[in-house]
Order: sequence, then C-alpha cells, then structure tokens
Amino acid sequence: MSGRFGASNQVALVGYAHSVVQRHAAAPLGVLTLDTARRAIADAGLRTDQIDGFVTAPLFPTAGAHAVEDGVSTVSATWLADNLDVRPRYAAGFQGIGQMPGAVAVAVNAIAAGAADYVVLHRAMHNPPGRYHGNPMTSAGGAQQWTAPQGYFGPLSMIALPYNEYVQRYGASREAMAAVLVEARRNGARLPWSYWHGRPLSAEEYLAEPMISDPICRYDCDIPVDGVAAFVLTSAARAADLPHRPVYVSGYATSAPATRRLPLHWPLDDIMAVGRETTRRLWESAGVGPTEVDLPQVYDGFSPFVYFWLETLGLCPPGEAHRFVLDGGIDSDSPKGLPVLSGGGALGNGRMHGVPQMLECYLQLAGRAGERQRTATIGVACQSSPHYGGAVVYSAERF
Amino acid sequence: MSTPRPLPVPDEVSAPYWAAAAQHTLVIARCSRCASFVLPPGQTCPHCHSVDPRFRFEPVSGTGTVRSWTVVRQAFLPGFDAEVPFVLVDVELTEQSELRMIGRLLDGPAAALRLGDRVSVAFEDVAPGVSIPAFTLGAPA
Ligand SMILES: [Zn+2]
Repeated sequence: MSGRFGASNQVALVGYAHSVVQRHAAAPLGVLTLDTARRAIADAGLRTDQIDGFVTAPLFPTAGAHAVEDGVSTVSATWLADNLDVRPRYAAGFQGIGQMPGAVAVAVNAIAAGAADYVVLHRAMHNPPGRYHGNPMTSAGGAQQWTAPQGYFGPLSMIALPYNEYVQRYGASREAMAAVLVEARRNGARLPWSYWHGRPLSAEEYLAEPMISDPICRYDCDIPVDGVAAFVLTSAARAADLPHRPVYVSGYATSAPATRRLPLHWPLDDIMAVGRETTRRLWESAGVGPTEVDLPQVYDGFSPFVYFWLETLGLCPPGEAHRFVLDGGIDSDSPKGLPVLSGGGALGNGRMHGVPQMLECYLQLAGRAGERQRTATIGVACQSSPHYGGAVVYSAERF
Repeated sequence: MSTPRPLPVPDEVSAPYWAAAAQHTLVIARCSRCASFVLPPGQTCPHCHSVDPRFRFEPVSGTGTVRSWTVVRQAFLPGFDAEVPFVLVDVELTEQSELRMIGRLLDGPAAALRLGDRVSVAFEDVAPGVSIPAFTLGAPA
C-alpha cells in the first residue's frame, strides 16, 4: 500500500483573511472571528450561505489557571457557524497538537469525502488578562504530581531542556540563535498585520536579553496575542471557478506516537527520532521530498524548534542547524538562503500557532504576497515540535 | 501571604512512591510482566504494552547522569518565587537506559555542569510527611 495521500492535490485553499495581531484586541475574540470569517468568505468569492463546513482547532494553549469560554478565550467551529447563522453539514474541531496541520487534515478529508463542499477553517488565539502561564496551584495531582512539586512547570522549562541538550551536545552559540530571531523579526516587521510590524530585532538586542530559563530568554518565545485567521477550502474542481489561483494540499502528517515521558518532558533524542518519522510520512503523503521544497516554513513558537525542524525535514544534517543559520542558510533576502521564516513565523507575528507558516505558503503559492512575492512552487507549513506536532505540504500546481 | 509550593496528591498508583519518598527512599514503578522500570506509571506498560502491568515500586540506587539542565530564573508556579534562581536537572537513572527523571539540583545555580555528570538522589522535606526527590552532584553521601 502506498503512503501517498489518497486525495493529494484534490483540495485547495481558495481564500483567506487575517485580523490585526494585538496584545489585547478591543473587540471580543468571537466578534473578531466573525469579522475575519466573513472577510475570508468574501475573499474566496463566496457567500456565507454557500459555506457548509466549519473546522478549527480550539485549544487555548495556556498553562495558567484561565477559564476557557467559547466565543471569549476560544472559538469553536459550531460557535462560528451558529453566530454566522449557518446550519452547516459538517463542523469539527481538531483536538491534537499541531493544530493548524491537524485542522487542515480534518477539512481536506471532509471535502474529499463529500462531507462538505466549502469549508471555513479558522484559528482564534487569545491573550488573557494577567500572566499567560502563571498558575497559583498549591497541590499537584494526576500527571503533574511527577513534575510540579519540584518546580518543573510550564513551556519555558519544557523547551529549555532539549535546547540546552542541543547546545551542550553540538556547541551551538547564542549568536546562532540571534540569527534566527533577526530573520523572524525582520520579516515580521514587514507585515502590516503583525504585532511586530515595523519593529525588527537586532542581534545585539537579542544577546543582551537576560535568561528566564537558561538558555531561553524572552525573545526565544512568541508573544501571546489576540488574533484570528480564516481560510476557505474547497475541491480542486470547484476552485477552478473562483477568483484566486488555488493552492493545493499535497499531503500532511501528524506526529505520533511520542515516547511516553513525564509531563512536558521532551528529550532531544525523542524530538529527533519521532520527528524524523513524522517527516518521512509527510514526504510519502505528499509525493515530494525535501529537495523539491522551495518554501519550507518551519515552526518557531519557541526558537529552538527552528533547528529541530530544519534537521528533521532533512534541510541540513543533524546537529548542523546552528551552523547553517549562522552561515546565512535561512536568510530569505539572499538568493542562497532558504525562506524558512519568510512569513515571519510566530516570533515575527505573535502567538498565532501555525497560522504564519500556513499563510505564507498560501500567499506565496497563490501569487498574492505583493511586494514580498518570491518564486515558489512547493511549500511546507510546520507546527509545534516535529515529534509532537504536524506539517502540511502545499503546491501551486497539481502533480 | 506567599503561595506555598505545590504538594503532590498521591493516588492509588503513586501512593507507594510518595510514602517511600517521605522515608527518603527513591522507588520506581516496575512492570510485573517485563520487569522494565516505568516513569510515570500509567495504565499500560510502554515497554511490553501489557494492559495489566501490575506496577510494583522497587528501591533504586538513586544515581544517574545529567542529560540536560536549565536554570529557572522566573517561576510560573508562585510557590517557587522565593526559590529562584534554581537548577532543574534531567537525569537518566543508572538502572535502565532512557529512564529519565527531572528534579531540582540542590547544589545551587553556581554549580558547574556538564552533560554526563554523575548525580545522586536527595530529598527536600517540604511539609510534615512530604518529601520531594531532588539531586546533588556526585556519589551518594
Ligand atoms: Zn512491561
């Protein structure tokens, strides 16, 4: 049995909308989502009453003690349909990690199976008042009893352990990671909707920043924001009648299963071993390999993920990503650099959870990137960790 | 008033672990089917995939090697606000390959660390009858 995705290049992205990314939006998240979804539907040349499928990934990714309320801190597919006054044939939420690739897979499968003809896929991100990850817990039951009593808690320490393992094993310097941050923020600064619009970061600023959980500093983490993106998907056949050039979904992969570990314990070897299996399945699903990809948008919600994806995608040898970036390997302004953060990523946009990677693939492959337009034919949009996330391959052409 | 450190809530499976820790003994769950050590013990054994692993807690040496570490300078649990900066070590226990545990390194943030450094278990008495496994550099005292 072939591992090629049975509906490869049969479903396409045909339109999008993106809200402005802010620390705290003036409008409630639900209102922002309704506005963004309506604009995406119009962008695709459709009417709201033609939308018969709604898909999202509703996770509110905080370690803090914040309430989860539909329409306020998250927006489910059914909330959006209800409030658009649509009775869809299909509404679903992806519950795993690697939310955008997972949600894309759900939407593509629904269209390929005939469960829906036109799907709105949205992602609504919320920044609650107070500390995003702070948690005043005084007791730890369940899985957290194995880690919280000794102070191992929250995503910064989670990413600090495998990053330090990488730094110690391969001799990676802070100067190398500065190159990642400079690249992400320079590209984010060019995007009118980005939280970091007009605000690039210099290597000196990065290097001067104090540690929070060594070797992680504030700039290594995407900033929590209020922001919404929506995409419209339909079949390749229906896409041919719509105003924008379609961008086809060639294949996808969601990582699984990760080695069982303590909560938030992501050893480097787990990330690399399980991650290589994720990307092997990704290439098999899409029917292409790393050498054919000219727009590999890696995930960067925490900066070390850039190294982990570069290596697991096979874009540079294991242990070499830090040298690769230091040598200009990801400089998207240079003809020799790979455009892996040309869309600004999460570090250059704000915590939009895989949206910047997907949006850059869409804009570039649809020829809608304006002044930033580059020549690209095959894109990859990654999210989260290679061993606990996912990725989608997009193509400008059916093959 | 400052928030206290979070205390573990023992459950049916973990109760022997915390009872032993209170006596300053590190015990690790072991699968009755394949004899593998498992941390944390769940519903199944991740090694032999038994759905009836009947985990038994057995004392271990408490020695291991440092696979990674981080210095926590900002606590996301307010109960640790008074403790920062502190070091967390990712330790591979001697008993089994890839048997990994995370604990505080009690030598303090100035301790020079390298991958592969030897550590030994130590215990922090955080409340009456509650002790939390941690580590110190070097061989057991
Ligand atoms: Zn077993």
